[in-house]
Parts: sequence; C-alpha cells; structure tokens
Amino acid sequence: MASKKARFEESMKRLEEIVRELEGKDLSLEESIAKFEEGVKLGKVCRELLEKAEARIKVLVEDDNGRLEEREARDDIER
Amino acid sequence: MPLDDRRHLTVSELNALVSSLVEENFPEVRVLGEVSNLKRHTSGHVYFTLKDAGAQLRAVLFRSDAERAALPLEDGMLVIAEGRVTVYEAYGQYQIVVRSLERAGVGALELAFRLLKERLEKEGLFDSECKKPLPSYPFRIAVVTSPTGAAVRDIVSTLRRRWPPAEILLFPIAVQGGQAAPDIVRALSLLPSVAELDLIILGRGGGSVEDLWAFNEEAVARAIYACPLPVVSAVGHETDFTIADFVADVRAATPTMAAEIAVPRLDDVVLRLDEVERRLVQFAEVGLELRRRRLLELVRSYALGRVRGRLEGAMQAVDYAAEKLRRSIDAVMAAEGNRLNQTVAHLEGFDAAKILSRGYVVCSDARTGGVIRSAGAALEARDVRLAFADGRVSAEVKERFDGK
Repeated sequence: MASKKARFEESMKRLEEIVRELEGKDLSLEESIAKFEEGVKLGKVCRELLEKAEARIKVLVEDDNGRLEEREARDDIER
Repeated sequence: MPLDDRRHLTVSELNALVSSLVEENFPEVRVLGEVSNLKRHTSGHVYFTLKDAGAQLRAVLFRSDAERAALPLEDGMLVIAEGRVTVYEAYGQYQIVVRSLERAGVGALELAFRLLKERLEKEGLFDSECKKPLPSYPFRIAVVTSPTGAAVRDIVSTLRRRWPPAEILLFPIAVQGGQAAPDIVRALSLLPSVAELDLIILGRGGGSVEDLWAFNEEAVARAIYACPLPVVSAVGHETDFTIADFVADVRAATPTMAAEIAVPRLDDVVLRLDEVERRLVQFAEVGLELRRRRLLELVRSYALGRVRGRLEGAMQAVDYAAEKLRRSIDAVMAAEGNRLNQTVAHLEGFDAAKILSRGYVVCSDARTGGVIRSAGAALEARDVRLAFADGRVSAEVKERFDGK
C-alpha cells in the first residue's frame, strides 16, 4: 500500500481534477454521476487520513544490526 | 646470513628513509584540527589526536613546550597546531611534534569554511537543480537533532500545532563536539531505510561558530547531498549560515521556521478540502437540476407522442440517475451526517413530480407548447395548459387582476 503521503496527495489531486472535469466538460449524465461518486469517496479518503493521525512522537533507536527501531517516546519532549 | 636474490631494505632502513623524507619536507607546518584522545603523561608530555571529519593525526606536545603553552587543552577543542612532522621509527608511525598551539580563532574557521564552500560549490553540491522538492503533505517526518534543548522542543511543538496528522520520528544525535559530525552522517545514511519517511529536518539551536562547526564539515555536506529524502536544515539563528544549509534542499532560518516550512497548516488543508467538496456537491445540485429543467421543458413543449415518449424515457433516466446518486450519497457519506443529507434533501426538492405535488403548476402555451414564465406571457397566449402532479388541463387566461 502506498504511503499516507502518496495516498493523500493522489486523492486530493484526483478530487480536484474531478471537480474541474465536472465543471468544465459537458459529460454525460452517467459519467457525471460516476465521477461524483468517485469524488465523494476521494474526499472521504482524505478526511480519514487527516483524522486518524494523532501527532505521535517516536524515537528512532539503532539496534545491534544497525537497523532503526521505532519506539514510543515519552511525551515530555515539548516540555 | 642468507640473502634473498632480490634487493631489499630492512624495515629499519625503510622507516629511516621515510623519516628523513618526512622531516625534510615538513619541518614546519600549521594544521587545523580538533583535539581528541587527550592524555597527559606523568612525564609531563601530552599526547593527543588531531582530527577533522575525514582523518586523524597523532600529535605530541613535549613537556617543555606543554609548560609554555598558555592554552589549557581539552578534548573537542579546535586548535591550530604548529610544529614539525616526524616519524616514530620504532612503530612506523608519523606524528606531529607540536611546538605551539593556538585556539582556532574565528579567522581560521572562516578560512576553512570559505575554502570548503568554494570547493563544494564548484563541485555542484549546492546546485538548485539538485534540490529535491518538499512534499506538500508529509505524514512521517524525521527530526535529527539533540533530544534535549530548545531546538527539538520548537520543532516538535510547531509540527504538532500546525499539522497533527504527521508522525514525528526523533533521531537523537550530538549536535556539537567530536561526535556530532559522525552522528549526523550516520543518521542521514540510516534514515532512508525507515518505512514511508517523507522528510528530514536537521538542525540545532544557536551557538558559537565552534558549536555549529559540525554543520560545516565536509562529511556532513556530502551525507546531506547523498540523502535520497528531502532535507530541511535549520542551524542556529537567522544570521548563521553553515555548509549544511547550502547543501540542504531547503534552508530554514531557525528550527521553528524549519517546522513551518516542512508542513502545511491542517486548517488550510481542511479548508481546501471543504472547498473542493463544496464544489462537488454544488455540481450535483446545479448540474442535475439544469438537466432536469431542460428535459422537463422539452417534455412539456412537445405534444407528439413518439418524441414525447423518448423524452419521457430520458426524464426517467434522470430520475433513475438522481435516485442512484441519492443512494450512493447515502451509502458513501452515511458517516458524514448532516451536510450531505441536506444536499440530498435539496436534490429531492428538484424532483419535478414532488414540486408539482407541493401545489405548483407548470403552465404552457397551448399552441406552441412553450413553458410560460410570466403573467404577461400567459395573458398573451390566452389558451394555456396547466400540468398538475396527477394530470393536465386546458385553460383560458381571462385578465390580469394584480393591476399591473
């Protein structure tokens, strides 16, 4: 699965494209409705990506094999 | 003593040769480096290593010179050592025998900075074509800095405030002293292996020129250049420019600004999304309503059964599509609640049959079949037809009674 960044960027871009198409082109009714539905779904994808996140902080720790491990951080970095 | 056929030197001979070559050629050198592995021997001699990011040099300061040296040497100190290069023949190692030392002044550092900057610039490390664009919506951001201090607090709190969707991955490093440059290089070489990382912020708070020095090391510059992920640098204050800043994809004046440059504001993104969705829904309303009205007019204006049948078919298609649309909105946006339900209600309002059932009437000219939109036109037509929800009647317009 693509990264959140890629999914968000792609969905947002496609959604804006759809709106431009709907507004600009004289599409058939069926096409319009298919695009509208796609647009609604894309908007939902974007909102979910924005809402699910919770500004988590992790600390990267190097393990013995030189790989980075993500550990939950104590929540006092800001203070 | 059996001798090999080939001519050869003994180790001692070779070392003596090298020694004389070295001592003849480097009777007096001045070298800039960082002091490390400092050891004061009980004899009074001082041994240490001089190093920069890429190399090391053994150094010895004999007692008599050590006593004269006004400088209290410490590990991590940047110095210019003056002396001669000799070879310690017993171990085949060369070293600098330091006669005097001075703390590397701003002048020396500036010179080193300028020379490195010119060299890297010529090599193309600062070229704008090499700069990677920053992602518009980064969701995983690595922050490479000291885990203590103001910089990490500023960066983290700014990221959290502006763009809560992002996950922040802190890579703790030393930002000054001998460990800083290798730490940064290591961080930049390891981070690209972290899954789905979108962006790196590298920085530290303000400090003296010496404090910021790691960010002027060639190895750091090359690590930033080689890093496949976009790097935002933020070293010190507005007025501090380091080599790292020139190589980085974007240079921020301060750590706080680095965070501001790195991420959008959630509010702005939501606003943009709202606006696009509003246009989408508006299309659904206006676009469908327009089609519906056009068809309704056609249905009303043609009396001929065949054509009318086809148009009614089209009308049905619109109704069907609207119904489908309504269902899809319900299905997809059920969780979204109000906003779209209002739209659905709105769309239902455009259903011609429903409009008529609310008591409205469509009035058309009996002769031309055209829809009549004004009292004046109705009076002119005289013979009209009225379409109710359940059927149509003919009527004659008698007079205006609104006095106009």
